[in-house]
Order: sequence, then structure tokens, then C-alpha cells
Amino acid sequence: MAQTDRMICPKCGVEMNHHAMKIDYRGSLDNPAAIDPVFGGVLQEAHACPECGRTELRESK
Amino acid sequence: MNTRALFIPVVLGTVRKGRASENVARFVFGEVQKRDGVETELIDLRDLKFVTDDAGEAIKEVRFSETVGRADGLLLVVPEYNHGYPGILKHVLDSNLKEYIHKAVGVCGVSAGGFGGTRMIQNLIPVLRELGLVTIFWDGNFSGSQKLFDDTGKILDDAYVRRIDQFLGELIWMSKTLRLGRENISM
Repeated sequence: MAQTDRMICPKCGVEMNHHAMKIDYRGSLDNPAAIDPVFGGVLQEAHACPECGRTELRESK
Repeated sequence: MNTRALFIPVVLGTVRKGRASENVARFVFGEVQKRDGVETELIDLRDLKFVTDDAGEAIKEVRFSETVGRADGLLLVVPEYNHGYPGILKHVLDSNLKEYIHKAVGVCGVSAGGFGGTRMIQNLIPVLRELGLVTIFWDGNFSGSQKLFDDTGKILDDAYVRRIDQFLGELIWMSKTLRLGRENISM
């Protein structure tokens, strides 16, 4: 399930666009408690800023 | 719609002495520079300081991450070594993740033999896909790499200019399209 609050670009302050979900297997090593049992890794949301193009990941809750 | 120039850096994917890929990278870099509305930069892995006793996010190199993070697409120039890609390229690529997702990537293969790095490209594509990059269906294939350029680095076969023109057309289209999607189309 994706987080419902919009991510804000740390550079521009505008709302970012949630454009992808990614299973992060490497992140699972650092944060095993965050592993989603359905996918076998940490589910990450990918966001991009429509102003500057900056990209960010955050853990999906 | 965003009017920023597209940014497509060229990555020279080997650090070996005597690398023939350097001529290819400089040639391709020059062709990208000719494109209107596209900014580029040549990233030589030799210039980056990556430690080799750790991996992934732990070894992020700030300059490389910032450049790739700013990119709309990547153009990789990669030699084929024993049918594979250079280990150092994999090491460098693995150091990032968020910087790649839904961005276009095109590969120019380089080989001393006659297949232009095709076997390397087939091995590299699954890696790029897992990193979140979107591979295009055109490749650059530079065969007989030791004899492709004169002593000044000028390419001797003009056919490569047309081939790379088509390759870049696809890479630029995909980079534009994915940028539009990343920044405007929500899941």
C-alpha cells in the first residue's frame, strides 16, 4: 500500500510525483524488519519532482 | 510540460590501460553534443574514487550520484571482456538506486572481435533492468575496435555516424517520454 501523503521535493518545495514501486533487496539487509513478506524485500516508492527532476525513494507503508 | 534540456551523460565503463572504448566514448559523446536540446557530460570511471572493500549505497561517490541523479537517460560505452562487462562498471552501477528508476539507458558495446559487444550487452541488460533503468531496443555495436579510429581518435568508418544517429534518436525519445512519465503520471 502506497503512502497517501505526497512527498515534497527537498530542493523546490513542490509536490513530487509518485511514479514507481521498487522492491529493494539491498535495503532488506540494513532493515530486515521492513521486509514485506509478500515481496521478499523492502517495498519502496519512487517519486520525481516536476520542477527540478530530482528523484527520491521512501519506504512504502 | 517541462522545458529543461534533457541531460544524457556518457559513461565510459572501463578503467583498463589501452582501452579501445575511450575512442568510442569520445566519438559518441561528440555525437550527443550535436543534438539540440540535449546536454551531456563524459563520465570516465578512472576519474571516480570508488572503494572496493564495500558495496552499494555504502560506497556512493557524490559526484557520480549527483550526475546520474540529474540525468534523464544514460549512455553506457562498455567493452566486452570474455563475453561479460567490466566488474568495475557493475561495482559503480550498484552504488545507486533511486537515481535510476524509470530512466532510459542505451548501451554501446565495444569489442576487438566481430560482434560489437553483443554478448556483453545481453549480459548487462538484466542488471540494468533490475536497477530500475529502461533499456532501449537500439544498441551501438563497435567491432574491431583497435582498427576503428586513426591516431587522432577520428572514426574511420562513416557508417557509424548514421548508426549512432538512429541509436540516439531512440535514446532521446525514450528519455523524453520517461521524464514526462516520472514527473507527471502517477501510479
